[in-house]
This record gives sequence, C-alpha cells and structure tokens, in this order.
Amino acid sequence: MPRIPTSLLLKAYRENSLLPILLKECRSLDSARNELRWLRERAVRDVQEHSRQATRTRQGWRTRLRAMCHKRSRGVPLQYILGDQPFGDLEILCRRGVLIPRSDTESYTYEAARLVRQMAVETCKDSPSPSGSKRPLRILDLCTGTGCIALLLHALLAPQFERIQIMGVDLSPIALNLAQRNLEHNIGLDVLDRRAREEIQFHRGDVLRRNGIANPSTGTSAGGDAIPTVEELLSQHTTQSERDSKSSDGSPLPKIDLLISNPPYISHSDFHNGTTSRSVRLFEPRLALVPRTDTNIDSNAISQEGDKPEDIFYRRILELSQDVQASLTILECGDKMQAERVVEMFRGNSPALGDGGETDGVFTAEVWPATEEDCLANGFHVRDGSRCVIIRKGGC
Amino acid sequence: MLQCGRFFWRPARLGLNSFLRSVHSAAAADSGLSPVLLTRARLLAAEHAKLSEKLAEAFDAKVAKRAGEIAPVTAVLKDWDGANESIVELKSLLEQPDTDEELRSLAIEDLDASREALPTISDRLKKALIPRHPFADLPCLVEIRPGAGGDEAGLFAFEMLRMYMSFCSRRGLRPTVLKQDVEDGASEDRLTEAVIEIEADGAYDILRTESGVHRVQRVPATETKGRTHTSAVSVMVLPSFPESGSGSDNALNFDDPNSDYYIDPQEVRVEKMRASGAGGQHVNKTESAIRLTHIPTGTVVSMQDERSQHSNRRRAWQVLRAKIAEARQEAREQELVQLRRGAMGGVARMGRGDKIRTYNYGQSRCTDHRSGITIHNLDGVLDGGDGLETVMESVRTWMADREVEAMVAEETLKEEKKKMKK
Repeated sequence: MPRIPTSLLLKAYRENSLLPILLKECRSLDSARNELRWLRERAVRDVQEHSRQATRTRQGWRTRLRAMCHKRSRGVPLQYILGDQPFGDLEILCRRGVLIPRSDTESYTYEAARLVRQMAVETCKDSPSPSGSKRPLRILDLCTGTGCIALLLHALLAPQFERIQIMGVDLSPIALNLAQRNLEHNIGLDVLDRRAREEIQFHRGDVLRRNGIANPSTGTSAGGDAIPTVEELLSQHTTQSERDSKSSDGSPLPKIDLLISNPPYISHSDFHNGTTSRSVRLFEPRLALVPRTDTNIDSNAISQEGDKPEDIFYRRILELSQDVQASLTILECGDKMQAERVVEMFRGNSPALGDGGETDGVFTAEVWPATEEDCLANGFHVRDGSRCVIIRKGGC
Repeated sequence: MLQCGRFFWRPARLGLNSFLRSVHSAAAADSGLSPVLLTRARLLAAEHAKLSEKLAEAFDAKVAKRAGEIAPVTAVLKDWDGANESIVELKSLLEQPDTDEELRSLAIEDLDASREALPTISDRLKKALIPRHPFADLPCLVEIRPGAGGDEAGLFAFEMLRMYMSFCSRRGLRPTVLKQDVEDGASEDRLTEAVIEIEADGAYDILRTESGVHRVQRVPATETKGRTHTSAVSVMVLPSFPESGSGSDNALNFDDPNSDYYIDPQEVRVEKMRASGAGGQHVNKTESAIRLTHIPTGTVVSMQDERSQHSNRRRAWQVLRAKIAEARQEAREQELVQLRRGAMGGVARMGRGDKIRTYNYGQSRCTDHRSGITIHNLDGVLDGGDGLETVMESVRTWMADREVEAMVAEETLKEEKKKMKK
C-alpha cells in the first residue's frame, strides 16, 4: 500500500481531526469525508436513542464517533461498525462472520431480475396458457450469506409474479441466522412484501457435498447429523404437487427457474498476495472467500483434471444446474479470466449431458458485463474487477 | 369626463367591433387597463360561458378544469363591468340638467367611490389574467453555488443555505438537504454546492423569486486589512417532479415521450464512480457515487451523499430532470421574449445570469434590483424572517407586472398581425 503523503494528512487534519484516522483505511479524502459523515450520523442517532431509553450509556456522540473512527482505522469494515449495508432498496444487516454484500453482487442481482422478467415474457408468448400461474417461480440461491440476493430478488420480482419460491442455502449457521433476521428486518422496514416470510426459506446445506456418494474417506461426516446436500434439501422442501408434473424424465429434483450464486472464488495466492485487501482478509470470513481445499472431503471427486482449486464451486454448481434444469444460471466470478474458465467448464460439460439428459433447447453461456458501456453503467472496471457468467436457454 | 362620456356613446351606431374598442379606450383613460388586456378578458369570459353551457349538458373533467382556470377572470370582469356601468349611469345622471341638487351630490359621491374602486378591480383583473407558471404547483429544489469571490463566496453561500432553510421552516415547509459539498479547508462552512429539496406542493411558486445571482458586500472574516469585498452566489430554483409520472393526462409527466420534459434515458450516460483494480469479494469499497451526464446539453449531476448507490441514483435523476426542465422552460421563455421584443422594444427580463439582489453588511441593507425595494434590516432578511418575506413579496408583484406588460405586448403584436393580414 502506498504511503499517504503528509500534505494530504495535514490537509485532512485541518478539516477535521478525525479525518486522518479514517484516511488510513479509506485512502482518499473524498471517501474519508463521506465515511466520517455516515459515522457521525450513526453516532448521533445511537446516542439519541440511548438517551430516550434512559439506559446507563453516558457516552456523548463525540466519544462514540472517535471510537468508531479508531475501529475503522484498524481496518474493521464500515458495515460491521454501522451494522448494515444498503443493497438495492433493502437494508441488509451485517455482522462479523458473514460476508458483506458488495455492490457488484447488487448489479448482478438486478441483471438477474431483468433476465427472469424477460424470460417470463418470452415463455408467455410461446404458450398461450399462462404457465407462470400454475407453478411458482423457483429460485435457488447457493452460498447465500446475509441472504441479500434472495431477499432483493424477492423484492424485485414480487410485483410481477404471484407465487415465488426462493431457497437460500449456506453452510454457516451464523450466516443463516443473519439471513433470517434480515428477512424479518426488511419486512419490518416495509421494503419486502409480507409474503416473503412464506416464500423465502433459508436452509443449512453443503453445496460441495454430493448426494448418494458415501464418504468413506471421512467417516466423521457420514451419519444422521451430516449437513444435507443441496439435492436432499430440494427434494425435502419443494411442494409435492409441483414435482409430479415434471417427473416424466425420472429426475427426482424439481425444476428451478433461476440458480444464482456468489460462491467463494478467491484463490489461495490471491488471498495472500495483496489482491485481497487487508480489511477483507482480516475481518471477513475466509469461509465465504476462499474455497476449502485443504480439508475438503471430496474435492477430488468434484474437480476434474486441469481445474484450479478456486474454481471448485463452479464445477459443482454447473453440475447441479444441469440436474435441476435451471433455465437461467448466474454465477459471480472474481475476474474475467475466471469467468472465461467457467464458460469453458460449461462448454466441456454440456455435450456429455446431451446424450443422457433431456434438454429442450440449447444453452448458451456468456460473460457479463462484456461491453465497455455495460461496465461503466454498472460501475465495473473495463479490464479488472468481477464478472458474472450467465447461462441460459436459447439466448443470443 | 363629460367628453369622455359622449365619446363613449357616439360610436354606438358603428359595428360591434369598433364599439368594443372605444369602450376600452374610455376605460383605459379611467383605470390604466390596457385595451388589449380587456379584449383578452372578454375572449376568456366568452369561452367560460361556452364551457359552462357544455358542462351543464355533460360533465367532462378536462372542460371543467379549463373552466375552473378561467372562472376568476370572468368573475373579476363582471365586477369591472359593473363598476364601469355604474360610472356611466351616474355620469349621465349628472349630465341631465333636470336632476335636483340632492341627487346630484349623492351621484357625485357614488361616482367618486366607484372611481376609487376601479383601479383595484383592474389590478385584480390583471392578476387573474396572468397565466399560471407551468411549474407553479410543484415542489422545488434550490441549488446554491458560490460564484466569483473565492472563499468568501463559499462562506456566504453557506449563510444563504441557512437563510433558506430557516425561511422554509418558518413557512412550515420541510426542507431536506439533498447534497451539501464543502470545500477542502479549515472550516466546514464553505460550500461548493448545495441542493435542498422542499417537498411541499407549490413551493416552486413561493421560491421562484430567488433564482439569480445574489451579491454580497462586506468585510470578510478572511480579510486582514478591513477592505470590503464584493462576491456573488448563484441560486437556482428548479421544479421537482413527482416520482414516476402519476397522472397520465399530466403535461408534466416526464415518463411520457410526448411530454416537454421527457428525457430519453438513451441520452444520459450513467457512471458509477469506482476506483480501478480488483472488485467483487477481494475488496469492500464503500464509495457509492453516481454521475449522470445528459449528453445533448452536457448537463452533469453527481451524487455521493448516501451510502446506497440506489438512492444516490434516484436523487441524481431528480436533480437532472429538474435542471433540464428548467432549462427547457427558460428556452421557451427566451423565445417569447424574442417574439415580444419587436412589439415592446426591449423587454426587462431578469435571467438566471443577472444580478438580482445585494446584501450590504456595511449599511445593513438588502436591496432587490428588480423591484427596487430596500430593507434596512439585513439580519431580519438573513434569518429568513419577515424581511425576506417582504422582499420576496415585492419581487412577486414586480414579476406580475412584467407578466402583464409582456401579455400586453403579445396581444398588441397579435392584433397588428391581424391587421397586416387584412
């Protein structure tokens, strides 16, 4: 990290004595100024609330603000200090141990909602009978974390779709707990429809574990209390009547309309070589950032030759996506190269499926955003930064 | 006056048209009401009568709206006619030689009373004739930017922001700060730009008088030698459009491509400003700035005050829409001015670029250059209290007078054109 010039520190100090503290983490005066304002607003609000409740806190907001700034300068993410992060129109609660929602993910979620709407219009045109009313729109969000994607998708799609079924899956119990709280919190704020309480479910599941494959290598996880696989969760928690209609191919799994995921995708080296920022490395959960490679039970069973260890989730999710016949699959990737690797992975997979499974229509995979215009409009850097892979039926 | 009366009656034999015109000239002598304005009022009254007939048969929302708009004109015109008639009657009474003395003195008294009432009625008529500003009913945004004068201008801009905030609070309007950018420096009270939103309907009409360049003359806090500086702050009052067009028949519906205030989203470049380098899970950036650029006009709006990119975007759009609508309205007014210039030979019009008001600390006065009013209680003005209210009211009257002048010019021009055709 380059040193902050003394002149900048001085300038910041003259403006406000707290700014140099924040500058350590923010690196630019503009963002330090903004963060100071947000922190001050929160400190003042907190103190006012405390005094109304007549609790013993005698701290003034200035003391509180100073403490917050020092915390921030140690690298604690702003969202953990403030306790929330805006995500679309929602307010997502954040806490240690759960990944903070990123604005990139927000963009992908909006794009996903747009594509789902577009897909619904197209299918309505094709078949005169509105199939949407018979079956709920089914969405599967893997590695859901705070639940931000699942919740925002519901908020965006609820006006258009009468029935929605969203399942969020995560391995971490802390995350699931938070996701559930977020659901209630946003219903309380009135930015999420009440029906979301029935239509969104969060379940603990292990995305990497495969169904049916016993794990002789690790006897510990085998047994009654093992974390369920995604397949198990799907067959347990989707309504029976819906499954009957589509069980002609003998697949026990329900059909999913949208499979979306922001899995851990940072490579071991990227995590340590400075690509990943200090604040993220120190304070955000590694579980949500770097795929487990060392302790992984059956990584060998999932990944194929030539796969990079950080891509292991994509291999598994692509496989799942075929099993549930997802009409639309959206996967966040760390950069363009990774996204292209995922596209390759998908292309390598699909012919193998062609002879076995039944697919009505050809699937295409693309990297988004690809054009410079899309990048600018959605806040992506033209060369660097994250990308997502969109796999959909038909497409262009 | 006697002559006047005779003149009034003489052309009665000639056609209706010339009859009306002579009535006007007679009246004009009495009240200073321009004949063209009266013609316009009569036309509107006739239209109102027609519309009322229509409404009696069947109700139509559009017709009712129009009728409601011009109803005041009709009512005031009736008053005006009544007053004039009584004057004429009284005069003829006085003219008759056989009127007895007692009646004569009463008539003279009545005549005086009616003559006194006439100017107020004609004033009311003028006001009723002024077309409502298209944005009059809207809430508004007030943008404050320091102009020439460096630091001092920034300081005064901050004071003006406070002035308008307290003015709004006093009037019971709730101001919200959308954007408040301060300059880099020691103190936080040097603005580089501020936008406040006043969400009350009709706020635009109230604050419309404030658009323009405000000049301050004082010894700044930063001055060491005690010299008086002059600096400027520009204020822009912009209409604030309701979120997503509500009324479909509304001309202000900005979602409707046919509306005058429609902005094609294709013409707006949206940029989320973000530092380069890795994104996604690798970093956790808190920046949420948005910049919108309207390509045809080059208007740029950026917002970074909120943590949520989405509310920044919403606010940026609101300001952009307001700016473009105001610019389009301005352009239209400019066109009208060009049109009128021929008729009036130079129209007094204050644009946003003109100096409109001076705040002089040394003499503790505030002078508005449009209405010419001077108030010797500067603090009362800067507190956003009654002083400011008085100044604004005088400007409102001034604006109304200008409108009337412009209207007269326009009507005259129309009539001239008609004659040319004939």
